[in-house]
Amino acid sequence: MTRPAIEQQSIGLYVHIPFCETKCPYCDFNTYSGIERLIPVYVDALCEELRRWAELFPSHASRTVFLGGGTPSYLPPGDLKRVMSALTGGFPLVADAEVTLEANPGDVTQERASGWLDAGFNRVSMGVQSFDDELLTLLGRRHTAAQAIDAFEVLRRAGFTNRSLDLIFGLPQQTLQQWIDSLERTLELSPNHVSLYGLQIETGTPLEAFVRSGKVPQPDDDLAADMYLAAREKLAEAGYRHYEISNWALPGMESQHNLIYWRNEPYLGVGPGAHSSMLKHRFANMKSPRWYVRSLGFEVPADGILSLAGSQPRRPDLPKSTPGQIRAMVAGGPVNFVEQTTPSLELAETMMMGMRLDTGVREADFRARFGKSLRDVFSREIDQMLAAGLIEEDADGIRLSFDGKLLGNEVFGVFVAAAESMLLAE
Amino acid sequence: MDQSRIRNFCIIAHIDHGKSTLADRLIQETGAVSTRDMTAQHLDTMPLERERGITIKAQAIRLTYKYDDDKSYQLNLIDTPGHVDFAYEVSRSLAACEGALLLVDATQGIQAQTMANIYLALEHDLEIIPVINKIDMPAAEPERVAAELKQAFGFKDAEILFASGKTGAGVHELLETIVHLIPPPKGDPGAPLQAMIFDSKYDQFKGVVAYIRVMNGSLRTDDRVRLMQTKVEPDVLEAGYFSPVMVKSDSLGVGEVGYVATGLKNVRDCRVGDTLTMASNPATKALPGYASQMPMVFTGIYPSEGDEYPALREALSKLQLNDASLVFEPESSAALGFGFRCGFLGLLHMDVIQERLEREYDLELIATAPSVSFDVELTDGTRIHVDNPSKLPEPQRIKTIFEPWVNITILTPSRYIGGIMEMVTLRRGEYVKMEYLQPAQSDNAANASQDARVMLEYNIPLSEILVDFHDTLKSVTSGYASLDYRLIDARASDMVKLDVLVNHEAVDALSLIIHRSYAESQGRQLAAKLKELIPRQMFQVPIQAAIGGKIVARENISAMRKNVLAKCYGGDVSRKRKLLEKQAEGKKRRAKMIGAIEVPQEAFMAVLTLERQQVSRH
Repeated sequence: MTRPAIEQQSIGLYVHIPFCETKCPYCDFNTYSGIERLIPVYVDALCEELRRWAELFPSHASRTVFLGGGTPSYLPPGDLKRVMSALTGGFPLVADAEVTLEANPGDVTQERASGWLDAGFNRVSMGVQSFDDELLTLLGRRHTAAQAIDAFEVLRRAGFTNRSLDLIFGLPQQTLQQWIDSLERTLELSPNHVSLYGLQIETGTPLEAFVRSGKVPQPDDDLAADMYLAAREKLAEAGYRHYEISNWALPGMESQHNLIYWRNEPYLGVGPGAHSSMLKHRFANMKSPRWYVRSLGFEVPADGILSLAGSQPRRPDLPKSTPGQIRAMVAGGPVNFVEQTTPSLELAETMMMGMRLDTGVREADFRARFGKSLRDVFSREIDQMLAAGLIEEDADGIRLSFDGKLLGNEVFGVFVAAAESMLLAE
Repeated sequence: MDQSRIRNFCIIAHIDHGKSTLADRLIQETGAVSTRDMTAQHLDTMPLERERGITIKAQAIRLTYKYDDDKSYQLNLIDTPGHVDFAYEVSRSLAACEGALLLVDATQGIQAQTMANIYLALEHDLEIIPVINKIDMPAAEPERVAAELKQAFGFKDAEILFASGKTGAGVHELLETIVHLIPPPKGDPGAPLQAMIFDSKYDQFKGVVAYIRVMNGSLRTDDRVRLMQTKVEPDVLEAGYFSPVMVKSDSLGVGEVGYVATGLKNVRDCRVGDTLTMASNPATKALPGYASQMPMVFTGIYPSEGDEYPALREALSKLQLNDASLVFEPESSAALGFGFRCGFLGLLHMDVIQERLEREYDLELIATAPSVSFDVELTDGTRIHVDNPSKLPEPQRIKTIFEPWVNITILTPSRYIGGIMEMVTLRRGEYVKMEYLQPAQSDNAANASQDARVMLEYNIPLSEILVDFHDTLKSVTSGYASLDYRLIDARASDMVKLDVLVNHEAVDALSLIIHRSYAESQGRQLAAKLKELIPRQMFQVPIQAAIGGKIVARENISAMRKNVLAKCYGGDVSRKRKLLEKQAEGKKRRAKMIGAIEVPQEAFMAVLTLERQQVSRH
């Protein structure tokens, strides 16, 4: 399999910022509150990691950049600027590169927004979650609906033309009407891009414990389905394209960075717990910010709170195929998970990610990548899913049907199971 | 050892009355195991036994005790299971003994199993030493319990011992009493060998190891012996006793308890209850064997993966080698594929076997709801046994269905009598009698903690106590009551078959034979439960309950509307892929496909959680 040289050279860059003022009860991301004193040395470590990867991957450029977390907007703009300088120093931005910052409404001020623009960001994704103050309290968010509306306006005035916002639906106690109200207020703000996530109660989160103990009612799946349908209708009327299961955009404003994931293209993640997909391998950094900082040669401040909690992450078992660049970052850096993307895994992942898009998996892309047609590989599965009404098929390829979008796992699971059982020539 | 200095005894007790702890203390007191090597509950060697605090398999251990006359005595302690389901094992152990310690918890008093076991011991003509245990506990009421023992069994004050397995109090006196009161074994050292096999196990190095009690004669290593029932003639590769590890001793004399390693490869050749004699000089007669016990509870056991069927058969055969009371025969179900109909002595026995299959043999099982064996008289005059509801003939072919009845004994503080009466009546029980274990204390009758203990007796269909009876009894009596039962007869009953249809397809493994009076209410409940337990499919699935072809209840499992990962980004790919794999695989595990519907294991056991509704009252 060959790929155009440009794709080998231009990649997505993800930077993880594992700090939050408070940790939300539904969140199971690798993020922490109360370790703010680690921030300065953490930024040093990030810059060092970027510098080392740039040495290992010379002549690679950034097609997209995404600072996620955690709460990247919680970092002082000066620190964000340092990170961006290190990043663009090692991985220069291609022309029109999309550079996204995740922000909490409470962090947005005119001054900071200007700082973000100055640091090189051209897109802000704001975690609003809900336009209902009661639900915001339930979610443990520290902003109000009014603040979110203001913040979004401040971003516009500061000069951000590409603004996205996130909402969560299917919340315990949330009514359909509340959700429709939130959607209407969203549309009034005319974002270019909207992410709407059905709440998933993740194991080990406080929310899970609340639901288990009965403090918070179990969200109703059928109601969540109705909310999804309502959103789909409203956003379509307003001209948004439903380009991924949970994402809508005005034409041309799709998240370029996230499209890299869904198209199963290469990306590099830096920061604790960040995942990468390069050179036919997936790999990830250790999750602990403290051990991460240390793995890059920095001392963690001697301080009760910041002492290295937990034991040192163990060295991972490396697949034989592990390329030298990744080995170097295992031996003297933060990488502690490596998995080879075998042809059958690549097939599984290409299907499971690609089917999330409205364009689905395109025949031309599939053939270019695997040298075979979709039907050559998945004829039985395609027929099965067509019969169940979960997908549609035409000359361009296959994609989830209108109904299939709510039952995506049924489709992904079938393709993943089928792909992994195939013995493809390694 | 001189026959006159051997004492063979067992300990009989209700579950949790401290049998294993007291046994540990006896072991320690006589120095059989150094304190350093003591693990709690030395005789319960199966992990399951230690966890549940029950003894499942009999064990034997030799203790050497120096009595006050300065002579050494050989005490053979045979540990027995306490639960009613294992009465068979108890009777095997009792047959190897001349005496029994009757252990009663000082905080709880006599319980139903205490009664059952003492009657067994009396049948075997054993010398019984009553011991009130756990006297160190703050809640102990030794005098009160002594009064119960006197009232219920006619013991005298002087005969009752007080002990604590935990602190060791009274243990020395207990050992002296054992030597003093329990008669030495009878038997003729010069007669041809007769040794009773009371247990056996397979050892990968020594072959089948038989646990024996020598009744007459003696044996040595290298003797060629004969098993009188199977006529197999193995050589004694090794003889010895348990201390509790196996200790070689070249010979076993008359009255002694120990083991014989036979080198046999198949435990079937060395059956529990068989008599061992000398090949060259055989005894003319075998010792009386044990009455074999009939299984009372039946269930279908199926591998959750069809290809594990041979492994399940192998595992059941192995368990049966050491447990003659387990019976099984192949059966097949349209819903569950190939499996076995297994018969058990009771519910605990069933539980234990299922757990051992899963743990020791690493099998994933699906079990159907337990059933009793019905005696069915057909219109053509023939009679058949039906222990699988799906095998019940069409109603028009049936003349009469007879179901097994049991006599149950419940011991309870008197304040719970009302609640017990009610639950028994709801289950078609018939009152037999009620006896106070001690005179009611009229002076402070209001004091609930002092209320008298009562023995209640009822007759009730066995099927009515199969499922939730014990748990309900526990909750009705706050755990104070205990229960024992014995089979009495089979009576004609108005039984019907309740069928369950999932997506219009009858699921044989979900059929039940139940009494007509509440068949409909149980059908409704079962349909409602199944609705909760069967996961949503991509289309609507009706669940129906039917009696004799007539639908009596219907529920719909509405179609699944939403199943999609909301977020999937770069950091999630490996994890989410594994999650999807697991989901796809999870459908296969612990679930069976009925048509296109995946029915989880719990659904087959849903019947266990149905409640009796008081139909007669409305």
